[in-house]
Amino acid sequence: MRQRGDAEIVEVGFLNYTDPTFATAVERCVEQGATRIVIAPYFLIAGKFVVEDLPATVEKVRPRYPDVMFETAGVIGFHRAMADAVLASASAARLPEEWEDAMVDNRAWCREQTKCPLYGSRVCRVQIEVPA
Amino acid sequence: MIALLLMAHGSPRPEANEDIRKVADLLRSEKKRPFVLVGYLDCNEPDIATAIDDCVTAGATTILAVPYFLHSGRHLLRDVPAILKDAALRHPAVSILMGDYVGHQPEIAEVLMDRVRASG
Repeated sequence: MRQRGDAEIVEVGFLNYTDPTFATAVERCVEQGATRIVIAPYFLIAGKFVVEDLPATVEKVRPRYPDVMFETAGVIGFHRAMADAVLASASAARLPEEWEDAMVDNRAWCREQTKCPLYGSRVCRVQIEVPA
Repeated sequence: MIALLLMAHGSPRPEANEDIRKVADLLRSEKKRPFVLVGYLDCNEPDIATAIDDCVTAGATTILAVPYFLHSGRHLLRDVPAILKDAALRHPAVSILMGDYVGHQPEIAEVLMDRVRASG
């Protein structure tokens, strides 16, 4: 979205497990001069995370920035471009074995979080970084 | 014959699966991909394994299984490949390939920005 020039400021914040947190992302927006922050839920459906957890998280952060306007956009849901995304994804098809290796790379972005379903498991970064 | 299999997480709320069914319809009607099925990892039927069996029964010789997921987490990198490898053992004559996940595609930025614009 930065490359596309969609907005002057684009930041990412996570509700769980991963850094930066939602609060940090808001802070970064404000530091860069944001006066209006549109939160785009990166979710396919409006489930519990979007309907309950996200508003609760927003309400915790909002009082810190009384001069900033907060809005929450709709979830991804159905959109015609999703069919194109499926076709682009299909064109990259390879053997399922090759996808498993990608797991190792992903955890570089993890933060220690005991609530994570993978915490302490074989693939958890926290364990892997313990010196042998 | 190439089958396109959309693999979704599934949800206990039936309306949540309506979106992926609409995407599948769009692929069949406008994108000229007649052979599109949906399979669910959890909560819904058919599950992915059954959907693959259905593809084969319907004559698929290649199955492009696309994860309808935004993130490359545990489901995508462990559960789904395991199901697909298992299916490959059941159908040795069929080429079962796993696509990238939809969250990895630039189209997502377009969708997000449409939602942002609509909120203003």
